[in-house]
Amino acid sequence: MSLLEKLEAAQRSQDVLKALGVNAIGATIDVAGSATEGEIAGNRVVLAGTNNYLGLTFDQACVDAAVAAVRSHGTGTTGSRLANGTYACHAALEDELNAFLGARSSIVFTTGYVANVGTISTLAGPGDVIVLDADSHASIYEGAKLSGAEVYRFRHNDPDDLAKRLRRLGERASRTLVIVEGLYSMLGDVSPLKKICEVKDRYGAYLLLDDAHSFGTMGANGRGLAEAQGCEDEVDFITGTFSKSLGSVGGYCASRKHDINPLRAQIRAYMFTASSTPSVIASTRAALQLIGRRPELRTRLWQNAKRVHSALGSLGFTLGADFSPVIATIMDSPQQAASAWQMLLDAGVYVNLVVPPGAPKNLSILRCSLSAAHTPDQINQIISAYALVADQLMDRPKAVAGGSI
Amino acid sequence: MNPTKLRITGDSGHELRPIVMTTYNECVMQIQQMLQSTVAKGDVVGEDVDLIEELGLASLDVMELIEQLEDVFDIAFPINELGDVRTISDLASRVQQLTDR
Repeated sequence: MSLLEKLEAAQRSQDVLKALGVNAIGATIDVAGSATEGEIAGNRVVLAGTNNYLGLTFDQACVDAAVAAVRSHGTGTTGSRLANGTYACHAALEDELNAFLGARSSIVFTTGYVANVGTISTLAGPGDVIVLDADSHASIYEGAKLSGAEVYRFRHNDPDDLAKRLRRLGERASRTLVIVEGLYSMLGDVSPLKKICEVKDRYGAYLLLDDAHSFGTMGANGRGLAEAQGCEDEVDFITGTFSKSLGSVGGYCASRKHDINPLRAQIRAYMFTASSTPSVIASTRAALQLIGRRPELRTRLWQNAKRVHSALGSLGFTLGADFSPVIATIMDSPQQAASAWQMLLDAGVYVNLVVPPGAPKNLSILRCSLSAAHTPDQINQIISAYALVADQLMDRPKAVAGGSI
Repeated sequence: MNPTKLRITGDSGHELRPIVMTTYNECVMQIQQMLQSTVAKGDVVGEDVDLIEELGLASLDVMELIEQLEDVFDIAFPINELGDVRTISDLASRVQQLTDR
């Protein structure tokens, strides 16, 4: 197959969706007027597929901080962290992350994807072993591949299967980096992190937690899944992103147990890419303060999640997991999922359409992510739109009790 | 089905430490049995049939097949090597090597 033939094959699989009148891959948000509403193809829609969990993208303090930073420090750093791209604000954010997470050291990256690829590919190398949860994010797989380490998968969220794999590795378990996520972003299920920690400690392995979707959303103080499950001191490395709860873009790796500063001169994705723009760092720092100071944002987020989850369950949808800020409804086929996605959009609700191979187990799902900023009216609109889909697309018996409609 | 566990005895007839050994053919048969559901009853998937291009498995199916083999033979199969696996023959040779470790 020539280079361009591959492109044609890819286009054909996208044409399957296009034939249904759906352009999910290219859906453009023309105007994002607020954290929860935007304009797509001339229509106002409620945004319910944004990962904007705390709704801070339009928070006044965050916007003001970004504006002030762009005025005083300019539009970009035009350099990598190792060269001319480390400003006082980057260092300050790292200090503030250390203080917030109780970490010994942390490193800020330009995106969350880069944080994972860079950290994982550098922590482990040839001769080492990586054992990752099968449902891990693309950036984890990518980092593992780039590392040169031997890579094994264990069954999703299965500590016993992890134990089996570490046992098979024998003495090499002590050269092994185990990788899991906190909240899995496609189905919205949560890692049994405390049990994973027990297993990796039993075999003397190291653990990296990708807390991208749980940072800010879980734990009494928003410190993520390790805080929520009471195992912060057991996790060796945490990576995360600024593009979910913190409402900007960027990523980090932090450790309570180890000094990771030496990695700065090792991680190529840190050394050879431009650092974050000062305005991005400024709004991230402002948002980080709010995560600590405004626990009511988390309360509201989880209330919204619970309402939508129970309503969609009552409508007869098959749900991906217990309620969490990510609510996946599992559809029968890619075609049905695509039609449902378009119906939701026509009803003024934007969610994410995920078709194979985007979601685990080759599932076709509609992925709804809630925000603390969703108003009760917007939550009603989301539920009503799904009710329309249930009416028109699904011939499942409807539950009678427990619905919010 | 479990891999055949051979008890090796020395010339003197004294029993040596029991070891688990799997032959290439046993691996092939095990894999063919696992793939039985993909072909008509009575048929077997040939050793040199390309699992993805010819048999029509998705890469995820191959991964699942390997996971099952890991459990049956109690081995660890690195996913780095996934790209090298095209046929039952490829898979059986590698599984056989791993059980020798």
